[in-house]
Amino acid sequence: MTAIADLRDTLTAVLGPAGVISDPVELRTYECDGLAGYRVVPSLVLLPTTTAEVAAVVRACHRAKVPFVARGAGTGLSGGALPVAEGVVISLQRMRALVEVDPANHRAVVQPGVTNLAISRAVSAYDLYYAPDPSSQQVCTIGGNVAENSGGAHCLKYGFTTNHVLALETVLPDGSVVWLGGPSPEVAGPDLRGLMVGSEGTLGIVTGVVVRLLRKPEAVHTLLADFPSIEQAGNTVTDIIGAGIVPAAMEIMDQLAIEASEAAVGAGYTLDTPAALVIELDGPADECGDLFEAVQELCHRNGTTKIRVAADDAERGRIWTGRKAAFAAVGRISPQYFVQDGVVPRTRLAEALGTIAAMGAEAGLRVANVFHAGDGNLHPLVLYDDARGEHERAEKLSKAIAELCVDLGGSLSGEHGIGTDKACSMPVMFGEDDLATMDRVRRAFDPDGLCNPGKMLPTPRLCGEKPGPYRPHPLEADGVIERL
Amino acid sequence: MSSSVSDRTSTDGLPTVRPADLAQARDTMRDAARAGHRVLVRGAGTAQSWGAPVEPVDVVVDTTGLDRLVAYNPADMTVAVGAGMAMADLQDRLEGQRVALDAARIPAGATVGGLLATGDGGPLRASYGTLRDLVIGVTVVLADGTVARSGGHVIKNVAGYDLTKLFAGSLGSFGLVVEVVLRVHPRPEASRTLAVPCPVTEAVRAAGVVLSSPLEPVAVDWHDDRLLVRFEGTTAGAVARADKARELLGSGEVLGGDTEEAAWSGLAALVRGEEGQTVLRAGTRPDQLPEFAGLLGTLAERHGVSAALTAGVGVGVTTVALTGGSPAGHGAVLDGWRARVLAAGGSVTVHRAAEGTFEVAPAWGPAPATAPLLRSIKQRLDADHRLAPGRFAPWF
Ligand SMILES: Cc1cc2nc3c(=O)[nH]c(=O)nc-3n(C[C@H](O)[C@H](O)[C@H](O)COP(=O)(O)OP(=O)(O)OC[C@H]3O[C@@H](n4cnc5c(N)ncnc54)[C@H](O)[C@@H]3O)c2cc1C
Ligand SMILES: Cc1cc2nc3c(=O)[nH]c(=O)nc-3n(C[C@H](O)[C@H](O)[C@H](O)COP(=O)(O)OP(=O)(O)OC[C@H]3O[C@@H](n4cnc5c(N)ncnc54)[C@H](O)[C@@H]3O)c2cc1C
Repeated sequence: MTAIADLRDTLTAVLGPAGVISDPVELRTYECDGLAGYRVVPSLVLLPTTTAEVAAVVRACHRAKVPFVARGAGTGLSGGALPVAEGVVISLQRMRALVEVDPANHRAVVQPGVTNLAISRAVSAYDLYYAPDPSSQQVCTIGGNVAENSGGAHCLKYGFTTNHVLALETVLPDGSVVWLGGPSPEVAGPDLRGLMVGSEGTLGIVTGVVVRLLRKPEAVHTLLADFPSIEQAGNTVTDIIGAGIVPAAMEIMDQLAIEASEAAVGAGYTLDTPAALVIELDGPADECGDLFEAVQELCHRNGTTKIRVAADDAERGRIWTGRKAAFAAVGRISPQYFVQDGVVPRTRLAEALGTIAAMGAEAGLRVANVFHAGDGNLHPLVLYDDARGEHERAEKLSKAIAELCVDLGGSLSGEHGIGTDKACSMPVMFGEDDLATMDRVRRAFDPDGLCNPGKMLPTPRLCGEKPGPYRPHPLEADGVIERL
Repeated sequence: MSSSVSDRTSTDGLPTVRPADLAQARDTMRDAARAGHRVLVRGAGTAQSWGAPVEPVDVVVDTTGLDRLVAYNPADMTVAVGAGMAMADLQDRLEGQRVALDAARIPAGATVGGLLATGDGGPLRASYGTLRDLVIGVTVVLADGTVARSGGHVIKNVAGYDLTKLFAGSLGSFGLVVEVVLRVHPRPEASRTLAVPCPVTEAVRAAGVVLSSPLEPVAVDWHDDRLLVRFEGTTAGAVARADKARELLGSGEVLGGDTEEAAWSGLAALVRGEEGQTVLRAGTRPDQLPEFAGLLGTLAERHGVSAALTAGVGVGVTTVALTGGSPAGHGAVLDGWRARVLAAGGSVTVHRAAEGTFEVAPAWGPAPATAPLLRSIKQRLDADHRLAPGRFAPWF
């Protein structure tokens, strides 16, 4: 019997027939995540319902030396949950219990398959919420959020997943179960919890999460301001930060993104404005009101042509719908598109956008821009038409944009992760020794290389014999940092 | 030793090397590796007593020469500094901004690297976390001289493992931190503190009232029989919210200026402790504070030791200082109290111990379930166990 057939039988005994998928048609449902360009059909999909079952599955895989890939909702945008052909997928979708809501201690204990939004909904009655808010929050799971260290529009002020999880119950790659972190941020010894967050499912499978909850702010103020240029919108953001104000969110959309969004949801954005800036402030009512006036003043000083202030929650919701719909809406103005997720130091935004526009023009492709302006996290959308043979050009442009971000002193990814998609670009951002050190840590957890193999770190198999030349970090070239 | 590195001898007679840049730091570690030398990393030396006593080493690496301000980008809210820079010096150089960290050791000269390696924090941890939450990049030299970077210079970045976290709390046992990139925040215009005299049992209830209000205190701590609730923001805002909190709780005094400063520096003094004391820090679920405070009182009385305690009430961080009595008394209180905290899922780190205490109670409690994992990481990063040998004994 093959290892997989053997596993199927062993695990059917543990999980029951409903917990094991081996039908080829059903297996195809799991062939990709949100990055549909990469597809691999797994050999087996397992649907455990308890930590003990996850541990049993991992132990069995470990014994049989079969690779395994964890999967939440499959909304990931970097091919992190891409299956391995001769391996299994462990779906956490059936682990959806809110184990404990503890309003007195401002925390909740949840299973990994609970959606991000379900947490905030469950604690709303206590005036609490879970702060990180990825646009995909209605469907993505907290386990996926932990694996990707997901952020959202409000992470400029509130931080990312790593700042909001206290403890993680984790099944390690050998099947043993440990809690990383603890009941308080004060722990004894190294912060293994923090290492697990953002590790893209390569260090173990998270089966329980203790999240920190925040008190809802007393006041929220939101505005949408039009600007004659992206640069003026960007300068406004600089001035706001210069004034010592940290808004909950600052988001910029360019004309193409606005056009797409309006076509899809009609949130009332100005169609012919070159740039729109969404600003949200929250906090204690009096101070928040004062700061909101200061922010409007800064918009005017930078030449805003129109400010729309959300009068109530419904209007705030519409402004956010326009922003959050932009991604998917790009489908309205282009048959296909690639999304990038690079980060540049905020002060180099104008330069980055100028270069991206020039690169787009040279490639003969349109690029729409939606970005988190407060932290420099770009989301350039490269539009293309497969029917016109533009796929390859678009893919090249998309990759070049991510690498440009590194050249400008930033990062390949602000929130979507490296996964399969950007693993071969890692040598652009990190040197050989940096990557070798990450690999040492990975092996400390997973000496057999079974836990989501082929993701995040470049391998010869994935990237060719040489995973890419080492290039000096651009900040090194500028003399800002030094390798040695 | 490499000729490029200035050697000097410390007062306690150990050869000490004080590298001045990354190349010297790498050479120092390589030389030590070649010679098979055991290495202790030291910053300002404010927390060398944390954890278990280190076994004899051959060389001390003094980081205070790594004190350069590498890059400060206020508009990006980031700063990159050498790990040996004193945090207090760094704070002085930030314009209208700050590293939102107020660990008790900072006024004593604690370095950025030392603060990261200890995972230390102060009352502000309630809203900004500890250094682990503010670090966005590190450059480290491993035991074998490998130079490795992780993170970067931007606030938002998920490329690769976040190795900064591995060094948070590592007490010098995973590598030498050479450079740190930090996120900074605007310095608030003003702060006010509401001080409410109350016993610890009442403090937890009162803190709950303030924390479930929309007043957004940045720190809520109990110290010296008072609940201290700090508000930061605009002057008008901080004053107004402190007043509202007083109305909400029905009592207390709003402190500003020197009296406010004195309240918080008193708390810091207890946390720093002094020679002859035993100081521990525990992490627990916040609402268990009264139970553990009560237990501490009982144990201290039983063993003839006097105990003082301060706690971050909303986050469940408690620091205990034991004074007087005998080393056996300190050891017995440490052992008994720690056992109960661990049984409740919490953790305890010893920050300093009166001489003789460890002969009665070990520096670390029973090994946690993560010990095999920690050992495995140590093995990959420092296979010969030459860095800070014994610091985490017997865990790894
Ligand atoms: C329309 C859209 C908008 C998006 N907006 C945002 C955004 O604003 N911000 C943002 O950060 N992301 C965003 N994303 C990306 C994505 O939603 C997040 O990365 C999310 O966290 C993935 O969660 P998931 O449950 O879908 O995980 P999956 O896609 O199933 O998995 C993602 C990775 O996590 C691993 N994983 C999943 N569960 C576990 C577990 N329990 N233990 C260990 N590893 C696990 C997988 O192996 C994989 O590597 C968006 C995606 C879409 C489609
Ligand atoms: C002579 C003398 C005696 C003292 N006696 C005591 C005493 O008995 N009890 C007491 O509590 N205090 C004592 N102190 C004070 C105490 O040692 C220092 O205040 C404290 O060590 C501050 O240094 P630091 O905070 O920069 O970090 P350090 O204390 O130097 O280091 C703290 C921890 O972090 C690690 N570390 C530091 N920097 C790095 C880095 N860059 N990379 C990796 N790891 C790092 C160290 O190995 C150590 O484990 C004494 C100080 C002196 C000078």
